[in-house]
Amino acid sequence: MDKTDRKYTNGEITVFWHPKKCIHATTCYRELIEVFNPRKRPWVNMNGASTEEIIRVVKLCPTQALAFKYNKDIDGDKQAGINSGPKETDAEARIMEDGPLVLKGSFILYDIDGKELKHYKMTSLCRCGASNTLPFCDGTHRKIGYTGK
Amino acid sequence: MQEKETTVHQPAEVRILKDGPIMIKGTFAFKDSSGKITKGEQELYICRCGGSSTKPWCDNTHKKIGLAY
Ligand code: SF4
Ligand code: FES
Ligand code: FES
Repeated sequence: MDKTDRKYTNGEITVFWHPKKCIHATTCYRELIEVFNPRKRPWVNMNGASTEEIIRVVKLCPTQALAFKYNKDIDGDKQAGINSGPKETDAEARIMEDGPLVLKGSFILYDIDGKELKHYKMTSLCRCGASNTLPFCDGTHRKIGYTGK
Repeated sequence: MQEKETTVHQPAEVRILKDGPIMIKGTFAFKDSSGKITKGEQELYICRCGGSSTKPWCDNTHKKIGLAY
């Protein structure tokens, strides 16, 4: 994420656009020019179609340059009182039961020596301790019968 | 509806701590194995040695186990 990112809302959902990820594949405006019109400013018109239509097309974006969130979820964050910092991020860390920790989205990953590790759209980090490719998961957790919430 | 523009923050950082847990720090969504999600600024230490009794959290068991990486 960076400061060129934009967001647009119709009160129900918020659409996020990450220009650096946009490869101008044109999918969005061929599907829904009423909403995604690169000749207009702002180029996203959230009143141009129904929420369902917008969500459908956001999901078609091949590069994740487009993303969306329901505003009620965003408000939920506020109510929980955890919006002290900036809120927009696609970073997600997820625990797989009896398996690895899965990272998705914008993280910076550092190895034990402080060196930055390449991380892809999705990275699985070993939790069982037995992987042959530490710090990454290589599936060994299944062989050793690792259990963990 | 008006267009709103915002600036966004630094990406969250994930550090593999030597012979210890995974630290995740910053703004991100965390989903536990039951599917429960917590969002916002947080700092978490995830067990990497397999031996914690408070999984997914580290409880320092790694010192006993002697995790080496
Ligand atoms: S579909 Fe995605 S990648 Fe293609 S032009 Fe639209 S935003 Fe950019
Ligand atoms: S969690 Fe998959 S190999 Fe350790
Ligand atoms: S890494 Fe600390 S208890 Fe497992």
